[in-house]
Amino acid sequence: MTSEGPVRLTLLPEAARFSLRVRQSDIAAAARAFGAALPARIGQTASAGPRSSLCLGPDEWVLHTSTDDAEALQQAFAAIAGAAPHSLTDISDRDRSILLSGPLVEDLLSTGCPRDVSSIPLGAGVRTVFDTVQVVLIRDGVTDFRLEVARSYLPHVMALLAMANLELAVAAG
Amino acid sequence: MLLIHCPYCAATLPELEFAYAGEAHIARPADPSTFSDEQWRDFLFIRTNARGLHFERWRHVHGCGRFFNAVRDTVSDKFLTTYKAGEPKPELEALLKAAGKDAAE
Amino acid sequence: MSALRIPGKGRVDHAQPVRFTFDGKSYQGLAGDTLASALLANGVHLVGRSFKYHRPRGVVSAGSEEPNALVGVSRGSGREEPNTRATMQEVYDGLAAVSQNRWPCLHFDAGAGADVLHRLLPAGFYYKTFLWPKRFWDRVYEPLIRRAAGLGVAPSEPDADSYASRYAHCDVLVVGGGPAGIAAALAAARSGARVILADEQAEIGGSLLAETGARIDGQPAWDWLAAARAELEGMANVRLLPRTTAIGYYHQNMVGLAERVTDHLAAPPQHAPRERMWRVRAGQVVLAQGAIERPLVFHGNDRPGVMLAGAARTYLHRYGVKVGERAVVVTSHDSAWQTAFDLADAGVSVAAIADVRAEVDSALLAGAQQRGIEILLGHTVTGTSGRLRINAVTLAAAELVATAAGRVLRCDVLLMSGGWTPSLHLFSHTQGRLAWDEASQSFLPGERTEDCHIAGAGRGLWGLGAALADGAAMGAAAARAAGFSPDMSAPTVEGDPAGSGVTTTELPGNRAAHNTRAFVDFQNDVTAKDIRLAVHEGMRSIEHVKRYTTTGMATDQGKLAGMNALAIAAETLGAPLPAVGLTTFRPPYTPTTFGAFAGYHQGETFDVTRKTPIDPWAEASGAVFEPVSLWRRARYFPKPGEDMHAAVARECRATRSAVGMMDASTLGKIEVVGPDAAEFLNRMYTNPFTRLGVGRCRYGVLLGEDGFIRDDGVIGRLAADRFHVTTTTGGAPRVLNMMEDYLQTEWPDLRVWLTSTTEQWVTVALNGPNARRLLEPLVEGQALTDEAFPHMSVSECRVAGFSARLFRVSFTGEMGFEVNVPARHGLELWELLAAAGQEHGLCVYGTEAMHVLRAEKGFIIVGQDSDGTVTPDDAGLGWAIGRRKSDFVGKRSLARPDLVARNRKQLVGLVTHDPRTVLEEGAQIVEDPNQPLPMTMIGHVTSSYWSEALGRSIALALVEGGRMRMGDMLYLPMPEGTHSARVTGTVFYDPQGERLSA
Repeated sequence: MTSEGPVRLTLLPEAARFSLRVRQSDIAAAARAFGAALPARIGQTASAGPRSSLCLGPDEWVLHTSTDDAEALQQAFAAIAGAAPHSLTDISDRDRSILLSGPLVEDLLSTGCPRDVSSIPLGAGVRTVFDTVQVVLIRDGVTDFRLEVARSYLPHVMALLAMANLELAVAAG
Repeated sequence: MLLIHCPYCAATLPELEFAYAGEAHIARPADPSTFSDEQWRDFLFIRTNARGLHFERWRHVHGCGRFFNAVRDTVSDKFLTTYKAGEPKPELEALLKAAGKDAAE
Repeated sequence: MSALRIPGKGRVDHAQPVRFTFDGKSYQGLAGDTLASALLANGVHLVGRSFKYHRPRGVVSAGSEEPNALVGVSRGSGREEPNTRATMQEVYDGLAAVSQNRWPCLHFDAGAGADVLHRLLPAGFYYKTFLWPKRFWDRVYEPLIRRAAGLGVAPSEPDADSYASRYAHCDVLVVGGGPAGIAAALAAARSGARVILADEQAEIGGSLLAETGARIDGQPAWDWLAAARAELEGMANVRLLPRTTAIGYYHQNMVGLAERVTDHLAAPPQHAPRERMWRVRAGQVVLAQGAIERPLVFHGNDRPGVMLAGAARTYLHRYGVKVGERAVVVTSHDSAWQTAFDLADAGVSVAAIADVRAEVDSALLAGAQQRGIEILLGHTVTGTSGRLRINAVTLAAAELVATAAGRVLRCDVLLMSGGWTPSLHLFSHTQGRLAWDEASQSFLPGERTEDCHIAGAGRGLWGLGAALADGAAMGAAAARAAGFSPDMSAPTVEGDPAGSGVTTTELPGNRAAHNTRAFVDFQNDVTAKDIRLAVHEGMRSIEHVKRYTTTGMATDQGKLAGMNALAIAAETLGAPLPAVGLTTFRPPYTPTTFGAFAGYHQGETFDVTRKTPIDPWAEASGAVFEPVSLWRRARYFPKPGEDMHAAVARECRATRSAVGMMDASTLGKIEVVGPDAAEFLNRMYTNPFTRLGVGRCRYGVLLGEDGFIRDDGVIGRLAADRFHVTTTTGGAPRVLNMMEDYLQTEWPDLRVWLTSTTEQWVTVALNGPNARRLLEPLVEGQALTDEAFPHMSVSECRVAGFSARLFRVSFTGEMGFEVNVPARHGLELWELLAAAGQEHGLCVYGTEAMHVLRAEKGFIIVGQDSDGTVTPDDAGLGWAIGRRKSDFVGKRSLARPDLVARNRKQLVGLVTHDPRTVLEEGAQIVEDPNQPLPMTMIGHVTSSYWSEALGRSIALALVEGGRMRMGDMLYLPMPEGTHSARVTGTVFYDPQGERLSA
């Protein structure tokens, strides 16, 4: 995917992604099954190897891992289902991820996101809206964000980002 | 556009992430079949429609997804407080006192 | 170069001439000019005709408050903007502007006949005159008024420009870039706060841009301004936004800023938006909007050449333009004296300064004497003359006005000042209270509702020194409130001109009241007489006076007229001014384009269009699409030469006789997981779910707590603790929200979680007698025989090598399967099935055929055959209610008296007398077509189609007591004639359901 403008937009290939829901009392067991921490504060991330977690709600995490690891991850959670009831649901194909990088990335996101994106700390993630579309924004670096959006909204979001990127090019030029 | 404090996210965030969800503290009866027609009507349809302080529900639908409760002044639109679902109604007097103190500062 | 342009003077670039046209005539201006300053430099005052009387009008102001100088600006091909204020439009090479509201031309306007008839057009004229006869309204009055009224001409082509928007967050937002705003921005920015400074002018500086005499911190004012701007521009924590109007102040310090990005450019760069809407969330706001000069109200005050004194000073100092050769000044405020002095010093002949006050500061008197300007204290204006431009003014001593004739002074400009009104529009948007200040005779900011600070002239302070000091103080206060530690120092000022004055109502005159044309609202042509008439006719509140006279209701929203109208109304009522009230200021502060509000939402991105992974295939196959909620779905797939009817008939035939394939991916899907998943669904849906076996499906009906149908769908049990719930396409988010609500707030004890999986899966529906034959060879891990996989089964298996969730369900009455595969593989599966289906007579069908096929079977569409007042029993779904369940959402309501009443509307089938007649959906149904009007309507058609399978039309309808009317003939009166139809059951095709396994 190419887009002219100061921010590089890259549509990432599908990877494994799960929605994990589990009660407070069973977080520890779930984290053991996951093999990495499940941060308790909304917005925080943790990772180990290919696996990473982002807390999106008081009992909700989105888990990312490599496609190769997906089955192992599911099996690990299946093993604790009796002792630690939870919901692990495959959403690998539900959302797509766009990588946005460049010094003007905050300006680009500010064309559609009402949050103060500059206040999102490095390594944190938030569920919010871009334009009218629900998205998850993850800050991977000072000038690098990942935007996850449900597949059918991707053309709309990409069109807006591409348009705004051209506009930033004019301002920067 | 309002700013709303989500008690679960512990953050004050743009209204665009939230959805209004009606009056708060109207619990569904454990066994609706025991309700008379009048009681059931009241549960379904009769609401406070307050001019002034109002207990109401919001959902952080584009955030943590949680329903929570709020006290908002329907005249000024200002929130006095928000609190988690299941927590008791806050004392209005104390809230007003706190709000008055803020305004005076 | 015109004699009116002073060489080298002003902030315009004398080395950069630009050519522009006004009404087709070519003129020269300078870079940095506004259209108004450039026209004035060419001696052009007449720029438009007034709204109601078509009176000639000229430039009155030098800012966004301009009521008269409204022009149309065109760049061609849809880039046309009517009602552009010439005082705000910057000139560029090639600018083409035209005057408005005149025919055939500006200098001779046929509509000016209205002016002669002004006595016949009083306030409230429209309310009084066009009442009778009633039928004249549509045919005569309205078209006539529409032609006569209005200002600019709306463009006929789509807007070719693009628009942008941006959210911004800062600690301190400063609105207004005059001395107070700059001082505030500096104070806040130096403390480290994130600052945004917005100003509507092309150049930040406000009144400093027209200030040449004063010295700030020992430097000439312009040098200080340059240094201050350079300092702000150099700070990373500051964003300067010139050409940006704060249009609205909303809750919790959200301020809308409309930035004009390219309107000043001769050749806007490609991809540059024309405007950008900033939605700023500020910790603290400093409002430094200044004050607006108030016109004086006297007979003939609207003649071209009569303008605000402060504007003349701005044209002189900022643009180097003399607004005339011979000026008379009439004022109630000191500030106009300074204008007179500056003009005289620049070589303009100032014939006289007439001040309504009997006494004036001696320094001013000395200044006038020194320049040889005649001083007329205690004077009033009794009239002006000149057809298209003022040529003389008549002045008289106020106490002798009734008896003496007055003195006629020749002039080509009359400069007036009625004092200054603090600009509190944005403050008022916050519902902040305005308090009447007796001393300054103005409204000042009172109680605040937001974290804002008002600085400078906006709170009634006069003078440069006060503005700078107050700006610095307010900027510091804002920064402190935002958590910073600002420094409190303010610049010092020398040579600050004096400024006190009095306020007036209509100046005393000597003409009969009915013959006095003293304008209060220039843009809506409201006179002082109109305001008095409104009061005499019973309007007591200024809000009523405003609506009756339309004063303050034009595009300038009464920026000049408001206080004068209020003062005259109060005087007429004999009431103190604050008792009459002030009209409410509402956003936007100045007219704002629809484009700025729309932002990116035009064309392709007007709204979200959700597309499934199969969408590209459908598009390539020539599908005709329809919107279904936010989705676009393929409605039918016409072959060359086919219309919709032919295509849908073919798709239906193929599905009933061979196999049809449809993209059902838009169906909502929710994964319900947890030990209590079955119990949860049992409570949510009318149907029983606890005993549904793994691998089995059930149709579920979801009610609201009020007992009415909200949604429906098939629910499959994948494991003891895992269900795959489907919802309607449009209902998915609503259903998930409702389920979350019950789960989080009513039954938090249940151990079950919900995840939206709508887009995880591509869903391909295969229906028809050949569906199994097509699918069977592709499926691994699941036998498809009726025994192994009967109707209403679900299985996790592999289809065409992809992991799949396979359902055996039918929405057509034919043997049906729905194959769900992960979305990334959806298109591949689709193409594979399309190819493999060739030998089985496969036909791809769209939503229209789907509707026909389901209607033939009497399957309802929630939202089409139900409307939020339909119970399961009404819809013939009584069988779907788990009778032995003690509770489910909506159960108690099903026993409410209204919901068990006889004669409720029930869903029935209708077959028309003429089988070729396809009824209109929504058509009303009556028992007796010969009854008198209005007829008693007993129901309406909800679904109606041509049924290819039956060779006739079919319809579903909601009819009072419908199931008791089986076999009855009912009637549908339509414009083309009355149709008759017989009531039937809702299942038109294969009532025994034999085809499900055929």
